[in-house]
Amino acid sequence: MASGKGGTGKTTLSAVLVRLVARRRRVVIADCDVEASNLPVALRANVVTRSSFAGNPRAVVDEDFCEGCGDCLDRCRFGALSLSDKGFAVIDPWMCESCGACAQACRVDAISFVPHRAGEILVGKGPTGPIVFGRLRPGEDLSGKLVTSVRERAEGIANERGTDLIVIDGPPGIGCPAIASITGANGVLAVTEPTLSGEHDLRRLVGLAHQLQVPVKVVLNKADLSATGAGRIRAACQELELELVGEVAFDADLPPALEAVAQGEAPPSSLDALTVVRSFQKIWSRLEPWVDG
Amino acid sequence: MKPITIAIASGKGGTGKTLVATNLAVFVARTGVRMTLADCDVEAPNDHLFFDVHPDVSVVEVPIPEVLAGTCPEGCTVCRDTCRFGAIRMLGGGPVVFPDLCHSCGACVDVCPAGMLGERQVRVGQTGAGVVQDGLGLVMGQLDVGQMKAPTVIGATRERAGTEGADVVILDAPPGVACSAVATLHGVDFLVLVTEPTSFGLHDLVLMVELGRELKLPMAVVLNRVGTGVVDVAGYCQSEGVPIIARFPFDREVAACYADGGLLVDGHRLGHQWFSDLWESLREQLASIGSGVPA
Repeated sequence: MASGKGGTGKTTLSAVLVRLVARRRRVVIADCDVEASNLPVALRANVVTRSSFAGNPRAVVDEDFCEGCGDCLDRCRFGALSLSDKGFAVIDPWMCESCGACAQACRVDAISFVPHRAGEILVGKGPTGPIVFGRLRPGEDLSGKLVTSVRERAEGIANERGTDLIVIDGPPGIGCPAIASITGANGVLAVTEPTLSGEHDLRRLVGLAHQLQVPVKVVLNKADLSATGAGRIRAACQELELELVGEVAFDADLPPALEAVAQGEAPPSSLDALTVVRSFQKIWSRLEPWVDG
Repeated sequence: MKPITIAIASGKGGTGKTLVATNLAVFVARTGVRMTLADCDVEAPNDHLFFDVHPDVSVVEVPIPEVLAGTCPEGCTVCRDTCRFGAIRMLGGGPVVFPDLCHSCGACVDVCPAGMLGERQVRVGQTGAGVVQDGLGLVMGQLDVGQMKAPTVIGATRERAGTEGADVVILDAPPGVACSAVATLHGVDFLVLVTEPTSFGLHDLVLMVELGRELKLPMAVVLNRVGTGVVDVAGYCQSEGVPIIARFPFDREVAACYADGGLLVDGHRLGHQWFSDLWESLREQLASIGSGVPA
C-alpha cells in the first residue's frame, strides 16, 4: 500500500483490508511508515518483542585533545562543525552525517565515533495476526534502513509460519523510505484521492514503481469528495494504463468506528457492519487473483 | 534583513499542511507583508498546483566520486575502508562506486593515496522560483523520481527561499520526523504543527512535539478537521504547554475547494476570516518570542 501524498487513506484501507483478508488466509503485516506508525494503533496491536535499531555512530570531540586548529571545519561538507568560544571544535548533531571526514582530517585524533540507538523494531500481535513495525526516534536519519529491517523481520515471520502474504503499509512520499518499502514487492496498491494533489503525487509514485519494475493498481479513496477530481483520477489511470480496482466513498461513519476500535471501546468486528466494507470486499476480489498470480 | 521563517509541519501525512501553508501565505501577502512560500515537501510537492506560476528552474546536483584513468596501487582498499556508507566496493582490482549509497562527503577522494578518485556532479532534483502575485513568491523543491537525496533538495529550496528578499518565509514541510523533517525545520523561527483529532493525529503529533523540543523550536498547533474524531488533542497540548492557535472544522466544502486546487481565502465563505484569525494568533506568538513581524 503506497501513495505519494500523505493522508489519502493507506492505513485506514490497510486496516479494513487485512481484516477481510485474514478471515480467509494468513497474513503478516509490515507497517513501513516508521516515522508515523499508525497501523498498530488502528489494530490495537500488543507488542510481543522489541529489538534495538542502531543508528549511524555519533561523532564526538574530545576537548582534552582538540587543539582548535580548524582543519576539521574545512573538511566537513555539511557545515556541522564550528569552533566554540573556548576554541574547541563543536559538532552540530543535526547537520552531521557521520561520514568521518573530520576524524580523518584531525591531526591529534580528537574526534571519535560512538554507537547510538536510532529506534526499534517491534513485533506485535493484532486481531489479524503478526504485525511488524518500526519506531524511529524523532530527528534520526536512516528511516529507509529501518524500513528494510522491518520488512526483513516480517519476511522472517512469514517464512516461519508458512504465510505467503505480506501486506506493507508504506510511508508517504517517493524518497528513500518509499523506495525501501516498494523495492522487491510483488505489487503496489496505490491509494489516491480525488484532488489535484492526489493525482500529481500518484503520477510520481507510478513513475517510481515503474523504475523499480513493480506493477501498480489504483484505488480511489474518498471518491465522492469531488466529482471533477474523481474524473481526473479515472482519466489518469486510463492514460497510464493502470487498473482502477475500486472506488471508496467518503464514509463519515468510518473514522469514528476506527477510532472506537483503536481506543478499545469496540471490538474490531464492529467494523464489518459498515457499508464501506462492501467496497473493500469488491476491491479484494479483484486483488486476490493478482496477489496469487 | 533576515526573514522570519515559519515551518508548517506534521508527523502524519494529509493533515492539512499544504492547505494551511498556501492560504496563510496568500492571506499574509495581501496584508502587505512581503512573503515567500517554499514547498519543502520535495517528494510530493503540491503548493504550485494552487497557483499559476511559471517558475525559473535550477538544477540540484550532488558530487559523486568517479574513478579516474590509471591504476590503483596493488591491494589498496583505503577508499572502501574509509567510506562509512558502503558506497564503494572493490571489484576487479579497483573501486566501484554505488551512487545511491553515497553521501557526497568527499572522504574517499581526500584519502586516496594515488589520486585515482575525482568527482562528477549528479542531478538529484530541482528548485523553481516564480512570482504568484505582487509580494508573494513561490519557491518549490522537487526530488527527481527514483532519487533518495530529499534533504539535499530541501536544503537547496530553503537556501533559494532565503534569497528572495521576503519579510516572512513559510516552509511547507514534508510529513514525518526523520532527516527530511530535520532538514526543513532546523533553525526556523517558529513551528506550526497541523493535526487532526484522531488517534493517528495525536500519535504523530506527540512525535512531532518531541522533535520540536529537541530542535528547541517555539511551536503551536492548528487543529484541523474538528468533528472527524473525539480524541483529546487539547488536553495533550495543554499538558505540554503548546498552544492551539486555530481550529478548522471538517467541512465537505473545504474538501471540495481543496480538491480542485482552490484557495479557501477566495473560495470559501469563512476562509478569509479563518486565516485572518490564524495570522493574528501567529503574530501574537511571534511577538511573545521576540520576533517582530512587520505591520
